[in-house]
Amino acid sequence: MRRAGILAAALALALLTACAAVPASASGPQRYEATWLDVFDTVTTVVGYADSEAGFTQQADALHETLREYHELYDIYNEYDGVNNLKTVNDRAGEAPVEVDARIIDLLVFARELCEATGGKTNAAMGAVTSLWHDARAAAENDANLEGTPPAADEIAGALGHISFDAVVIDEAASTVFLTDAAQSLDVGAVAKGYALERAAESLSGSWLVSVGGNVRAVGEKPDGSAWAVGVQDPDGGDYAAVVEVRDLSVVTSGDYQRYFVSDGVRYHHIIDPETGYPSGQYRSVTIVCRDSGVADALSTALFDMAREDGEALCKAYDAEAMWILSDGSREYTDGFSAMLRD
Amino acid sequence: MNDLSFRRGDAAVIALILAAAISVAAAFALAAVSHGGGAVAEVRRDGELIATLPLSEDARLVVEGGYTNVVVVASGAVCIESSDCPGGDCVRSGRISRPGRALVCLPNRVEVRVVSETAAPYVDAVAS
Repeated sequence: MRRAGILAAALALALLTACAAVPASASGPQRYEATWLDVFDTVTTVVGYADSEAGFTQQADALHETLREYHELYDIYNEYDGVNNLKTVNDRAGEAPVEVDARIIDLLVFARELCEATGGKTNAAMGAVTSLWHDARAAAENDANLEGTPPAADEIAGALGHISFDAVVIDEAASTVFLTDAAQSLDVGAVAKGYALERAAESLSGSWLVSVGGNVRAVGEKPDGSAWAVGVQDPDGGDYAAVVEVRDLSVVTSGDYQRYFVSDGVRYHHIIDPETGYPSGQYRSVTIVCRDSGVADALSTALFDMAREDGEALCKAYDAEAMWILSDGSREYTDGFSAMLRD
Repeated sequence: MNDLSFRRGDAAVIALILAAAISVAAAFALAAVSHGGGAVAEVRRDGELIATLPLSEDARLVVEGGYTNVVVVASGAVCIESSDCPGGDCVRSGRISRPGRALVCLPNRVEVRVVSETAAPYVDAVAS
């Protein structure tokens, strides 16, 4: 028996050695990813777990189509055949109400609520001001160092007189929107991506993580029961400023590094404080974690232009958590945010 | 007396079996390393994979589309070294090497994503 025993042991050892090197066999849902470049003028990435590629593609395609529809409706720069979108509403400011899709009405009702809740800090009716800065950034875009010229002070001061949400008349029964002030325009940049993502994510079931230009929405958790790990971009371009672990939550960051131009050594970023008409400089970035991606989007912009205490109070009202990165690089967190940080 | 005692020839058989097992293991390990153990940069245009560049080998790839991106792999990281697209956001995005990170040129519809088949992603997404 001795000889047979040794041979058997050798065979078993051989099998073990070979098996150890084989990657874990495929079982259970697999991880799939997709990237789209055609919605909301940004990069959308999708991670989803499904039993087959076909299962992933089916849900991902539906999500993509929904996001594309929202993108067309909420676009303020381009027209689409047969669609009255926000550009149509802006083009007819001071002239007439525009009949629009219910999804535009819903967005604007949401934007009005958040404008009130944030004391006007997240204001989708301030297109008159943000368009001046948008044009200044566009003019600087082709310069290698992003050198540009800020809008004239009197232009900004003039535009600040045309940013009241009261001039946005939303008739829900007739499904129309009317900008009563011809000098006014809508800019939904601070709410639309998050709002659209929230609506689009409603159709997803299972384990999904969607990022529309850095607006991240987690649906469920990973199939193995672990949380999704979401990195928060370092404003200085290094490794992540933080990594939070989330389930069924949204993570949105507003930062001064996202879009900007430079003039006389001063960096002018894209988050314009509706009180001053200029970019504010107290934080590098603010990150919000809460359930609703639209709320997270709106709050990240609002908190960027608020004192820490005011921001924290707003977070409490919306069951949201926040992280502030200050100009000196130091970080502050709400307690709930700290609890989500990965060790 | 059954002839079941250990003999010289048996040692040779055992050695052979072990050698075979080890070479199978080595083959798998090698495949893992050359395939995904080291990260690669996947370059896509309009969502279609046009190149896979191992970060371990310096390389230079010119991607022609509506515009021209020059993708460069050097010292274990990948960047878009130059581009004639409006804005040049892709060039300013810097060098990346960590699996899960990506460089994108929206005007040229080009994405350069670092992936690794063996390494679990360090993060699943980035809020930015």
